[in-house]
Amino acid sequence: MFWKRKHVPPRPVSGESEGPNDDLLIDVRRMSKIYHEGKENEVRALDDISLTVPWGEFLCILGQSGSGKSTLMNILGCLDIPTYGTYFLNGQAVSDLKPSVLSGIRNREIGFIFQGFNLIPALTALENVELPLIYRGLGREERRALAVDALTSVGLANRIDHRPGEMSGGQQQRVAIARAVAAKPPIIMADEPTGNLDSASGRDIMGQLSQLNEQGTSIILITHDNHLAQMAKRIVTIQDGHIISDEPGKGGIGV
Amino acid sequence: MNWGQTMRMAFKSVMNNKVRSVLTMLGIIIGVASVIAIVAFVQGASTLQRLQYEAMGTNQIQIYGWGPRSADWKALETYIDTEMKDEIKAWSPQGQYWDWQNKGIKYRSKTLEMNNTQIYFGNQDYGACTNNVITAGRDLSEADCRNAAKVCVIGETVRKAFFGAMSPLGQSIRIGGTSFKVIGVYKGKFGGKLNSQDQMIVLPYTLQQRMMGDPGQNRQYYAQAASKDAIEPAIEKIRKFMSARYDSSNGNFEVYSNAQWQEQAEASSNMLALLGGGIAGISLLVGGIGIMNIMLVSVTERTREIGIRMAIGARKRDIISQFLVEAAVVSCCGGMLGIILGCFAATILGNLLLLQQAQGGGWMPVIENFTVLPSFGLVAGAFLFSALLGIIFGLYPANKASNLQPVDALRTQ
Repeated sequence: MFWKRKHVPPRPVSGESEGPNDDLLIDVRRMSKIYHEGKENEVRALDDISLTVPWGEFLCILGQSGSGKSTLMNILGCLDIPTYGTYFLNGQAVSDLKPSVLSGIRNREIGFIFQGFNLIPALTALENVELPLIYRGLGREERRALAVDALTSVGLANRIDHRPGEMSGGQQQRVAIARAVAAKPPIIMADEPTGNLDSASGRDIMGQLSQLNEQGTSIILITHDNHLAQMAKRIVTIQDGHIISDEPGKGGIGV
Repeated sequence: MNWGQTMRMAFKSVMNNKVRSVLTMLGIIIGVASVIAIVAFVQGASTLQRLQYEAMGTNQIQIYGWGPRSADWKALETYIDTEMKDEIKAWSPQGQYWDWQNKGIKYRSKTLEMNNTQIYFGNQDYGACTNNVITAGRDLSEADCRNAAKVCVIGETVRKAFFGAMSPLGQSIRIGGTSFKVIGVYKGKFGGKLNSQDQMIVLPYTLQQRMMGDPGQNRQYYAQAASKDAIEPAIEKIRKFMSARYDSSNGNFEVYSNAQWQEQAEASSNMLALLGGGIAGISLLVGGIGIMNIMLVSVTERTREIGIRMAIGARKRDIISQFLVEAAVVSCCGGMLGIILGCFAATILGNLLLLQQAQGGGWMPVIENFTVLPSFGLVAGAFLFSALLGIIFGLYPANKASNLQPVDALRTQ
């Protein structure tokens, strides 16, 4: 990956060290996220969390509302920074990286799928899917081809000129998936992707995520739905900012 | 992200909010239009004045007085001919009389039914010194003057009154009983309109003495300086030469040029243009603040969009350029509309200026030489300034947008 070339920290000699492990996709060490620290309304959204995720994982972070799971995803997705602790993404300490490098990581390495779809209402489906490719600096033809491919793969080839407001929730979420996968990132992060959808659309979306994982994409799914979580290969349960369990899931063997 | 893409996005965003965009532009439109209209109008008025001066004679110097004796005047003529070849291109006496002794000016049985026809006595350079151009026949020649030939060159008004569609050349007109052959016609200075300034007849200066008696000490001359820069030194030389020859307590001698007046008039109209343009420029500033205001609203409204863009990989500079270009697009569109409006306003004001000039019976310019349309520099300057305004006033909102934290921006509803 491109940012790895920039700075490789010296490899430690002994096994018991602070150095990163290159084989891991995600290596979180004693990470905390504290809002309003030291004030009366202090909130420990994440409290001393450690977590490692290998490449190719289909990980589900399961937790109730307010458990800190979204905060964790924001940090893992380089949208937010931890208050304490270290986060190595592919062996690189994220807190060392400049904002412009983080933008590049979000653009090339991570595809986001949000609960609220987060499409830009003024743009058509095609333009929404093209947007990350524009920021990536691709030429017009190339990004159009990639965007049309992505929209076709989610079954929306006939909706490319529709604006988000003209589509159903399920269709909007599929546009969001198309946007996330168009640049073929190695990691997909999905925050309650089926939260606003009926169960049929939800199953459809989950099926697409499983399929992506089979093709080698690492997937991190955030949900509060225990049933849905069973589709992942591994389930990490989080409560009040602590990891309370870490167990294997059924890994896409039916829901 | 490349600039073409940024521009396309900005245009799209501006077009998505047409009413708001036009309202935002209004300040810039009014500002640019008023700067252009005011500056173009003042420049037009100044051009009118300059053309008016030039019509009287390019780089003209006037010499007159009743102090010097005939011999002094003769000496001055010789001095100009021999010592001032570099400064003075041409000169001519200007003996001037109204409808000579009221004896009437006649062609055959027709009498000129106009008062105050000017009769001038000049030499072969009279036309050049007064910016009169021959349209038919020829100007006075040196031989005409040497021989005191009874010939004349007539102005457009006289030609029209006497001859109409007929050719005046070779015909004779009588002034106080003496016949003069018409050898040429001067072009009208009023774009075809008849006017008292074209109501003139020019005779060889050598006839003056024969017809009017010795002009004596009271004389008048026109001289044409070789260039604008030669005017001042020429005046100084002539003044110095003459003041050594005549007693200034006994009579008077003047030499001057319109150039000074012209320069002063030009300076004051430039001042006026600057002042008017400056005041109009304030409305441009207000327009710029309007853009900043709307851009700030836009940033607040689109916080979530900014968050989405950042989440999918927009860098700080992508967000900055997006909002900067949007502000610049709004202000440039406003600038262009303002330029169009300003040109219309300048044209209307210019025509009003001409109308007023015509109603006052004043001098009218040859229309091809006169325009109130703003100069290219003014238009380009106004356009660039409005673009700059958009960028300057877009900086703060754009910077504000780019400093949002992605996670905070995404949380906004």
